[in-house]
Amino acid sequence: MANNSDIIIIGGGIIGAATGYYLSRAGCRVRLIEKGYLCSGSTGRCIGGIRQQFTSEGSIKLMLESVGHFSNMKEELGIDVHWHPGGYLFLAHSQEKKEAFLSNISIQQSFGLKDVRWVDAYEAKQVAPGLDAQGLLGGSYCPSDGQAYPFAVVSGYVERIKSYGGSINTFTEVAAILQGGGRVRGVRTAAGAEYQADVVVNAAGPWARDIGQMAGIEVPVEPERHEALITEGVDYLNIPMLVDYRADGGYFQQFRHNGQFIGCYSPVPNVPGHSTDSSYQFLNQMPRRMLKLVPALAPVKVIRQWAGSYENTPDGNPILDRTPLEGFFVAAGMCGHGFMLGPAMGRLAADLILNHGKVPPVAEFALERDYSRQEAMK
Amino acid sequence: MANNNDKIICRCEDITESEVIEAIGKGATTADEVKRLTRAGMGHCQGRTCRRLINQLLASKLGQSPEDQKPVTQRSPLQPVALKILADS
Ligand SMILES: Cc1cc2nc3c(=O)[nH]c(=O)nc-3n(C[C@H](O)[C@H](O)[C@H](O)COP(=O)(O)OP(=O)(O)OC[C@H]3O[C@@H](n4cnc5c(N)ncnc54)[C@H](O)[C@@H]3O)c2cc1C
Ligand code: FES
Repeated sequence: MANNSDIIIIGGGIIGAATGYYLSRAGCRVRLIEKGYLCSGSTGRCIGGIRQQFTSEGSIKLMLESVGHFSNMKEELGIDVHWHPGGYLFLAHSQEKKEAFLSNISIQQSFGLKDVRWVDAYEAKQVAPGLDAQGLLGGSYCPSDGQAYPFAVVSGYVERIKSYGGSINTFTEVAAILQGGGRVRGVRTAAGAEYQADVVVNAAGPWARDIGQMAGIEVPVEPERHEALITEGVDYLNIPMLVDYRADGGYFQQFRHNGQFIGCYSPVPNVPGHSTDSSYQFLNQMPRRMLKLVPALAPVKVIRQWAGSYENTPDGNPILDRTPLEGFFVAAGMCGHGFMLGPAMGRLAADLILNHGKVPPVAEFALERDYSRQEAMK
Repeated sequence: MANNNDKIICRCEDITESEVIEAIGKGATTADEVKRLTRAGMGHCQGRTCRRLINQLLASKLGQSPEDQKPVTQRSPLQPVALKILADS
């Protein structure tokens, strides 16, 4: 088998798969290289939430586009990805949060997210039946936010890459980036195989910094452990994804397609590093936090817990850019939002690569930027 | 997809033999990959019933010997437990 292709993508998560799909569709010969199985990184560990409620123009517009892709995926990829617009409700228990949400809502509306709105505590209970509204001032609610099933989305993209003639190498670890004549030439694997390509994309999620270092390029992405759990399936309760930003809060939703509740929270203090160990503390805390918001879930049984990595950048925004090494691109650092961003990010990455030198990259996703302006709805 | 002669491999998630074989056809070589492509092993019993059957299918379709097969990642809790009990523990 020939060891060369037009484009090599490192990373078999949502970003690598979506980027590979859009490049294949445009006629490129793609090779996707993944050190484990597909989705073995963060993508297979995420909870499948999809929202458009962000605070920067770039992320809001990308998410409007992504939701369009998700809602069309059944037709486009020929696979049911269980897209369901069940909505997202961000809860405000303080005046400060309320004001922040109100100001975010007007920013979001100005960038085209028309159906996001403030709901008071009474209306919050109506859109989220069973919600305990104690101490609640209201929330930021967007009914067109939703959910999908990560394994199906990645599998749909990968099957398309294959049908366009691309190759998938699983259980293949990239160990070096090949360079020559001032540009990228391909990759070498840990087993010593070499693959040639004129373009190499670093879509290695939480490992993006390691891949960057192989080419001598600093990619400021830090892994951070996040735990999650899932319950047995029960009747669908029509509750949107609930997001509680308080220190003892969390986020959880119910899958429309099989009734399972899935949830996680951001630990304080945070847990840096690649660890995917599960803790008993989480198994005690997450149920508490869920029951505080929806007490009626008390008898629902947890069947599994796990952990994965967020891939954080200093300002909470992704990195999508070319690099100083000609032909070497980076699409990583999705800061815990990579699944939802994936479809639009893949489309945008493909555009950037195909129109290299003609269209400028998005400034707020640039590799070398001022990382001090924070995304507020992390 | 499912036909009348098709055996159920994963009872919890209602996954048939032909669905598992289809996943192997898509490139799955481990029970972990089969689980993620089909959901077989993700159900209430967490694969206790179906794992052996999936490994047998992988062995027969791909010529793997049982010693070569990687164990599936085991995740707690090993028995389903109610949210309320966990919250109070
Ligand atoms: C608990 C939890 C909940 C989350 N919930 C959500 C959510 O609701 N919605 C949402 O949008 N996002 C969520 N996320 C975040 C989301 O999972 C990530 O942002 C997203 O999956 C990142 O995708 P990726 O393709 O960039 O990275 P990954 O999926 O990690 O893919 C990168 C791949 O690169 C591979 N790789 C690394 N090094 C090498 C190498 N040297 N050679 C070959 N391959 C290599 C890895 O094995 C990995 O599979 C959550 C994350 C966690 C942990
Ligand atoms: S029989 Fe497959 S998970 Fe229970």
